[in-house]
Amino acid sequence: MNVGRLAWPTPTGAMLWEIWGRHKLNLCWQGIALATSVCLVHWKEQGAPKDVAPLLVLFSSLCFLGAYLSLLACFGYIEVDAWGVRLSFPGRLLLKPVSTARLVLVPMFFGGLVIVTSFAVWTELVLRHLGNIAALDRLWISAVLLSFFWWMQVLAWGLPLVKGRMLVVGVLALIHFLVWRLPQMPRTALSGWQWPILAASLASAVPAAWLGLKLMRQGRWEGPLRISRLWSRLRFARARGRRRRFGSAFGAQFWLEWRRQGWLLPGISGGMALLMVPCILIGFKLVGVGTGPSETNLRAELILPLLLLPLVISVLLGSVLAKFDRLHATDELPIYLAVRPMTNGGFVMAKLAMALATSALTWLITVAAFFCLALLGKGTLFSKAGLVTPYGPVAFMTGCVPVLLLLVIWTWINLVAGIGAGLTGRAWIGGAYMFSRVVLLDALFVLAGSAMENVNFRATLLHWLPGILLVCLAAKLGVSVAAFVGGLRRNAITASGAGWIIGGWLGCGLLLAGYAGFVCHAINQRGLWIWVALAGFLMLPLANLAIAPLALAWNRHR
Amino acid sequence: MKFPSPSSAEAVIAVSGLSRHFGSKAALDDVSVFVPRGSVLGLVGENGAGKTTLIKHLLGALKAQAGGVRVFGLDPVLNPVGVLGRVGYLSERRDLPGWMRVDEFMRYTQAFYPRWDEHYAGQLLEQFQLDPAQKLKTLSQGQQAKIGLLTSLAYRPELLILDEPSSGLDPVVRRDILEAIIRMVAEEGRTVLFSSHLLDEVERVADHVVMLQRGRVVLNGRTEEVRRSHILAVLAFAEPPATAPVLAGAHAVAGYGSEWRVLFGGSRLELEAAAALVGARVVEERTPTLDEILVARAGGKGS
Amino acid sequence: MQLRISVQDGAPIYQQIVEQVKYLVAAGRLKPGEDVPPIRVLAEQLRINPNTVARAYLELEREGLVTMRQGFGTTVAQVKSLLPRREKLRLLAEPADLLLTHARHLNVGLEDVIKLLRERDAAMLSESCK
Repeated sequence: MNVGRLAWPTPTGAMLWEIWGRHKLNLCWQGIALATSVCLVHWKEQGAPKDVAPLLVLFSSLCFLGAYLSLLACFGYIEVDAWGVRLSFPGRLLLKPVSTARLVLVPMFFGGLVIVTSFAVWTELVLRHLGNIAALDRLWISAVLLSFFWWMQVLAWGLPLVKGRMLVVGVLALIHFLVWRLPQMPRTALSGWQWPILAASLASAVPAAWLGLKLMRQGRWEGPLRISRLWSRLRFARARGRRRRFGSAFGAQFWLEWRRQGWLLPGISGGMALLMVPCILIGFKLVGVGTGPSETNLRAELILPLLLLPLVISVLLGSVLAKFDRLHATDELPIYLAVRPMTNGGFVMAKLAMALATSALTWLITVAAFFCLALLGKGTLFSKAGLVTPYGPVAFMTGCVPVLLLLVIWTWINLVAGIGAGLTGRAWIGGAYMFSRVVLLDALFVLAGSAMENVNFRATLLHWLPGILLVCLAAKLGVSVAAFVGGLRRNAITASGAGWIIGGWLGCGLLLAGYAGFVCHAINQRGLWIWVALAGFLMLPLANLAIAPLALAWNRHR
Repeated sequence: MKFPSPSSAEAVIAVSGLSRHFGSKAALDDVSVFVPRGSVLGLVGENGAGKTTLIKHLLGALKAQAGGVRVFGLDPVLNPVGVLGRVGYLSERRDLPGWMRVDEFMRYTQAFYPRWDEHYAGQLLEQFQLDPAQKLKTLSQGQQAKIGLLTSLAYRPELLILDEPSSGLDPVVRRDILEAIIRMVAEEGRTVLFSSHLLDEVERVADHVVMLQRGRVVLNGRTEEVRRSHILAVLAFAEPPATAPVLAGAHAVAGYGSEWRVLFGGSRLELEAAAALVGARVVEERTPTLDEILVARAGGKGS
Repeated sequence: MQLRISVQDGAPIYQQIVEQVKYLVAAGRLKPGEDVPPIRVLAEQLRINPNTVARAYLELEREGLVTMRQGFGTTVAQVKSLLPRREKLRLLAEPADLLLTHARHLNVGLEDVIKLLRERDAAMLSESCK
């Protein structure tokens, strides 16, 4: 049997061949994304309808971002194995008779080359049509991207065991973002220094990477860090005092879900809300933007993004929630969970409960950030609340409570939206489901847009809408009943579990209907109430949750 | 689904005609196994013979494509709670949640089993010398096997299923694990099913042995009977044969010149008859060990 | 009671236990009335299936060497404190066969073997006297 020959039989060639082999599929997707973007942009240039153009721009930008980010990962040696994702230099390369310099320079040099070339290609073919990018700007952006890429590699290879690595990546991204905007910022002490700063960053990245890898090769990072061991002991000592048993299997499973995924949404969203808002404000103050009355406007403008943050992030995290161990290599149920004497419905209920607790905590943190924002500047909280509505600050506060509840429920809906598809353990189903949701949302937007403009279309739509909604509701109920019956028969869910899901759906739906009734009464649009209530019942997940235990059964018993 | 077996009423595990295909490859082919209450079954076979696949069927992780599986008279796929609440499982790959500490993992597992014996768990923890403050991912392989076994034994399950419990472990740890298993077997009515490559362990501990080869059951019976149904004999030929002699019923033939060693499946009379057919006589014989039987059958030489 | 189990041996494990217990009783290392370890303890010690130990003990009880009593464990029988002569000779048959095979192989005659046995016996006696 002929094993075959390497095209470039040197260590460098072997390393490149391995990277190529590992990411062949990824590079294929890159090509497809590029081609799609080129087509979309071409269509826009040839004269696409006015309202489709922003969508095209959005789609092309998303393609670019997705393709480019995955390209960054290619040369970073991100690997996934039984213990999870490993973001460090693979040990098998460290044992080869190759100098550290070569190990560092090959991915950095060739990676950098690929990054810069890829960016140039994208700019020439796609980005040029989306916005105005001058030639000098292109060079600047390429250099900033290169610097970011190299420092990501330094981080991944030099600090393999640091736990707060996500935070460091965030800080790195923020720094590079600021460096990128440096030319646009008004004249400060740093103006004129932009190129030297970037050059220094690029020049120091390579030796830093070399040093980090050298230390790793010498075994400096073997074993858990002393700090990590100390921290583990401290937590154990603290837990000793309150060593109590879990009340039930549900409690234990809830604890597991919380420990694994519960902190994601509050951490990311709440962290961003609590940290970034003051940072941005301070940053703007430093650069001298927004003093006096514009400051209040600025803060008012930040309120909306603050409110949207949990909602947006919960949509992104929705697919992560369906996993049991988000760093697990495959989507199969881990063995230590598969052999627990718990129904599939029990696992699903623990996830739903965790999602609810997570949403509640996130919104509490967001409200706290909100208060911080409101405390800045002149006047007390009450006076500012009085500014918002004519009914007075107390009414405002009381009015906030149901809104907060609804926001919590909305976030919860986003988190559990993908649970039915995600629990099947087949990646293609999850992907197909996400894709169909995006398509559905786009279609709704297009419909709404057309209805706004075209009066005839609006009339026809309103004529058929009630029927459509009722049919959808009937279908939802039908699927749910079938799924529950199937689940009960196959012992995938207990009667009490099904009761909780149905009760939750009815309860939240009634809450929404009640609040909608109150609001519709207040704004004198009584006819609208029934449709809002119906839409509410449709949006709340029932069929999805009914299918989830069956999906998990399909995963658990292959 | 009919489960015809003399002791099926008492069978803790009843597998009947089980078949399973992965794509075109048959992982299990018409496998039938019955394990009565209170016995120890050793599952042996080469790598890839289908042992783990069979065990996964018992836990409900795989659905039977043909045939049926009943544990405690229940279908593990239709009734996971009823079956898994009485089963303790140690997996081959020790798939543990690395981020949990030892004490957290014990507390977590305890919540699922109402019959968890905290005192016994504490005893095992001390005996296995495990540090409750350590994270699972920092434990060595032997320690991971020990914690896996601890959390399977502590609630005194009626059925213990072990997939290669000794793989990759040093002799000291193996001894500890074997002692813990035997202590459990000595209690009334506990059943154990374990698969292992260490056949001397299987011979010591197992009442029954089932050998799988390429997904089929080739041996099934009490340990001594399986051994005694084979003979390791030396045949002397009057004239040295040119090529390896072929005997009907022999699983392996090796040697050189006029003396050849043969592992034969059958009685002594059958062996003498077969030997006479090829013109040889039996000069030496003994009962082979399970190890020798497995290697001979796996080698596939002879018929 | 120290036993040694070998899986490589042709004999089934329970038979090895039976033979070794018989040998210990005959050699006087197990006195009549002495307690024999309970089934679980011996099984753990030897790392074998408790059913095998139970079978060995049943066999020994059948041959009258031990008595098993509920709640009091297993003790070496009082009555048959010594094995009958023919049992002892049967136990010696195997090592005798081994010695004779070796002698035949080395072409040493029976008379020389008997002389050797007397010499070795005398040597062992003088050793134990010291």
